[in-house]
Amino acid sequence: MPETVMNSLTLSHFLMTGAILFCLGLVGFITRRNLIIMFLCTEMMFQGVVVTLVAFSRFHLNDTGQTFVIFVLTIAAAEAALALGLVVLLFRRKGTLDSLVWSQLSG
Amino acid sequence: MPIELIKLIPWIPLLGAVLCAVCCMKPAWRKAAGPISVLSIFIPFLITCGVYSAASGLQGDDKVQTIYQWMSVGGFSVNMGYFIDPLTMIMLFVVTGIGSLIATYAMGYMKGERGYARFFMGVSLFIFAMTTLVMADNLVLLYLGWEGVGLCSYLLIGYYYEKPEAVAAAKKAFIVNRIGDLGFALGIFLTYMTYDTVSLSVVTSKAVAFLSDPNYIATSADLWIPFLLMLGAFGKSAQIPLYVWLPDAMAGPTPVSALVHAATMVTAGVYMIARLIPVFQLSPYALPTVATIGGITALFAGTIALCQYDLKKVFAYSTVSQLGYMFLGVGALSSFGGIFHLFTHAFFKALLFLTAGSVMHALAGQLDLRAMSGLRKKMPVTCWLMFAGCLALAGFPFTAGFFSKDTILAEAMVRGTGEHGSNLYFFLALMGLLTALLTAFYTFRLWFRVFMGPEHFEMGDDHGHSDDDAHGDDHSHAHEPHEMPWWPMNIPLVVLAFGAIFAGMIVHWTGWMEHSIETSTAQPAIALNIQTDPQPTPAYEIITVSNTTDTHDTATEHPAAATGHSAEHDRAHGIHILMMWISSFIALLGIGLAAYFHWLNRPLTDKVAAKFGMVVEVLYNKYYIDEFYDLVIVKPLRTLGHGFYRFDQAVIHGLVITVGYIPRLAGWSIQPTQSGKMQGYGLGMVLGVAIAALLVFKWAF
Amino acid sequence: MEQYLEYALYIASVLGALSLALMLPKERPGIRFIGPLLGTAAMGGLWLFLACSGIWDGRESGLASGSFIYYYLFSGIAIVSAVKVITHTRPVYAALWFVMVVLASSGLFLILSAQFMAFAMVIIYGGAILVTYMFVLMLASQSTSSDHASQAYEKVATEPIMASAAGFLLLAVLLSISFDYHSVDAARAPLDPANTDAALIESTLANRPLKAVKTFVNNAAGEPVEVISPAPPPNLDPTRLANAERIGLDLFQSHPLGLELAGVILLVSLVGAIVIAKTKVPDEQHAASG
Repeated sequence: MPETVMNSLTLSHFLMTGAILFCLGLVGFITRRNLIIMFLCTEMMFQGVVVTLVAFSRFHLNDTGQTFVIFVLTIAAAEAALALGLVVLLFRRKGTLDSLVWSQLSG
Repeated sequence: MPIELIKLIPWIPLLGAVLCAVCCMKPAWRKAAGPISVLSIFIPFLITCGVYSAASGLQGDDKVQTIYQWMSVGGFSVNMGYFIDPLTMIMLFVVTGIGSLIATYAMGYMKGERGYARFFMGVSLFIFAMTTLVMADNLVLLYLGWEGVGLCSYLLIGYYYEKPEAVAAAKKAFIVNRIGDLGFALGIFLTYMTYDTVSLSVVTSKAVAFLSDPNYIATSADLWIPFLLMLGAFGKSAQIPLYVWLPDAMAGPTPVSALVHAATMVTAGVYMIARLIPVFQLSPYALPTVATIGGITALFAGTIALCQYDLKKVFAYSTVSQLGYMFLGVGALSSFGGIFHLFTHAFFKALLFLTAGSVMHALAGQLDLRAMSGLRKKMPVTCWLMFAGCLALAGFPFTAGFFSKDTILAEAMVRGTGEHGSNLYFFLALMGLLTALLTAFYTFRLWFRVFMGPEHFEMGDDHGHSDDDAHGDDHSHAHEPHEMPWWPMNIPLVVLAFGAIFAGMIVHWTGWMEHSIETSTAQPAIALNIQTDPQPTPAYEIITVSNTTDTHDTATEHPAAATGHSAEHDRAHGIHILMMWISSFIALLGIGLAAYFHWLNRPLTDKVAAKFGMVVEVLYNKYYIDEFYDLVIVKPLRTLGHGFYRFDQAVIHGLVITVGYIPRLAGWSIQPTQSGKMQGYGLGMVLGVAIAALLVFKWAF
Repeated sequence: MEQYLEYALYIASVLGALSLALMLPKERPGIRFIGPLLGTAAMGGLWLFLACSGIWDGRESGLASGSFIYYYLFSGIAIVSAVKVITHTRPVYAALWFVMVVLASSGLFLILSAQFMAFAMVIIYGGAILVTYMFVLMLASQSTSSDHASQAYEKVATEPIMASAAGFLLLAVLLSISFDYHSVDAARAPLDPANTDAALIESTLANRPLKAVKTFVNNAAGEPVEVISPAPPPNLDPTRLANAERIGLDLFQSHPLGLELAGVILLVSLVGAIVIAKTKVPDEQHAASG
């Protein structure tokens, strides 16, 4: 195979990685019952988004993509602080991290 | 008194009804309802008296007193307006005058009843509806009053709503009236389509114009309108075949029977036909039909009344019979006769019902003739008051009933003889005479049974109201028959008795009513015939050519009958005199027979009755008409209704249930998604986003 | 081969979904190696296809030559780690694998010459946030670590098949969008002339220090004190801006409001975290048992 072919990395490649990370995080959020792992999975979805943003930034030669990564980081940090605080609170109530314990909204 | 006051007449009773309704709210106020109601009826009566001469003299457009425009739809507009002419004034006299007397009586009669205020609310409301009916300027407003009196009748018959038979009677009255009212409503629609208006004055004047136009060709609407209107009149005025509700309506309190079901409401049909007589004349069969039905009803109900034992039932059938007379009167083109009889009948029938009420009151609800006898010692006043009423009903010479009944019979006889004479009217007049005999007989049968002969009575089981303070001056024997107090019960009766005896004489000798009715719109044919020649208008000929000879003569003669030719007039006068003699004789005969069979020789009566057991049985059971209706109409309808019910349950209801199951099924199918589990919601979100992305990006919707 | 690209993506997605569904923790695990095998086959097959398809012929990536190797390396690490994060039954290990994801994506950022982002990721995510997670995990699993029955929720995934199907349906759609030949065509945008390094230096950083400057400032006693400004990096190109510089310029010039809001959000979450931490919670378990 020609060198040029192997060498061509396009935006699509990075978008693919980002999308895979995002979807794996999504699947994890749905399938896992541990509240902390669920939040970890949302962080993984952030990770996919961050990859996508940086890739766009690079390929469109626009720094705003990276700037937004900073905002994403901010949100992730804030979310981690609050969500983990809540998780600890919930854990203190029920003594477990199982999210199904909190399914009182069942119809 | 200013003529404008007449506009207030219907509204004062309405105000009274509202005040009575307010009185229902607090037990302490309830006693006020009676006086309020009486005042709300008596003030209109005073107004009627005050404006009588002014109102009777109104001419042309002044007769229509409009308050406001009621409704206006496209080209159709109806005014809340009153039509004031002598006929209306006479009806107002009857309604408010008799109404206030009966309401006064009811103050005593209903004392201590639980629904005292409710009763008077109904009475006031009834007077509102009835005055609206007789004053209405147009058919729609008349229909409002018509339905209003029907409603009040329903409410008042069902006054004792704890009693099943009262409730059943109320429903029966309402439903039977619906049949008639359907016809009436259709008649109004057809009238509007034909005349392009519902205003009574316009309709009648147009009809008069048609009658006087020799080139006018009657349309099929002209033929049908009277029959449809007639159906309404027959329903309201209890004529064959719709009379069955009236006897049952006696389940209501006696003053109601007297006011609604004897004196006023049931005469609405007569009033309506008298009011619209030109419209009826446009159809050659209409008035003969009215007369025939009236005559047959009179005789039929008279025979039934012969063998009834229930005091009020006898009077009820008597009312049906007398209403038949009235229809015979208007059917014989003598609206004067019909209205005259209506007027006198209101007096003596109200009197009879109220005295019957007194008897019933005295005997604690006892109404069976067989359970009472010789009460004249116990209740002398009631005895002689009822005697006056009986004389009038029986047509004893120079009493009110005598003159009015005679007018009708003589008019029918005038139609039935002479050069244009019709066999139909002749037979009807003979039937009327026979009915007069029966009337005299059954009336005095009742009176002799109750008040003459050996003293004997059984109290009814209605002790509830012999213990209360209704019998103010009577402490000694709660279980003995006793006389009614003079105030408020016997005084109105005395007034009525005077009316029953002398009203006819006054009217006959002064002639004011005859004059005023003939000049009112009720009898335009007379005015018409004065100016046109007596030969039949072409409108009739067109129809009679294609029809049977039976109606031919009636159709051709009647415009001629009321002609002012002196020979004809003399013949009519002669017949009047003759009929007076004949009916006097018949009345005396009837009274005599009654006296013999029911006073002097009662055992013989029982023997005769036993001999003709079959006949008595049939008459006692009212010709099994109720059973017949039940079999022919009610049962099939019920079966049909049952079938429909089944169908409804199985198919319609099933369908509804099935439709109801669809959302339930849908809910049941998606219910698991609302599990409260975060993962489930997350899954839904993911699927939603995936599908939305698919739709947006891949299929580019 | 372009026409088969779409199908390749779909097949890879389906295989990926299958493998993930097999790999997710279950009560009765089946044959363990099939899931990873399928996943590897799906990912490897797709990459092979992409690498050999030649549909990117003549396309200048603008990235350093040879970076494709690093791309495949870091991408592979990131994806495998991500799979481990969601399939591992022990939360602590899942969190550690997540650190791996962060590190691998930092590598990807380096390929994309976003150095500041790469290190920020490692420091903030891999350092601060993940440490918080670990703390909470240890805090939470402390009391129930002995109780294995109550740990069943770690071992059993909810709705693995549905979740995989939904996730990979979304993935297939996203991939087929991102690999759309025509949309990729416009992927490379020309640099905005106002956004070139030269223009930025000209407009805002005209007098940035390029060498150490010595100045004198009076101290409190009034004596002049020698102050030396920090020296610039020795290899600084006066005509080029560093990645961090560019981001700083963009952040403070173009997004001041966003920056302020981010600060507010951090403050709010700080306050919120303190409030939540101080909330007294009735212990339902203890209340119920005692």
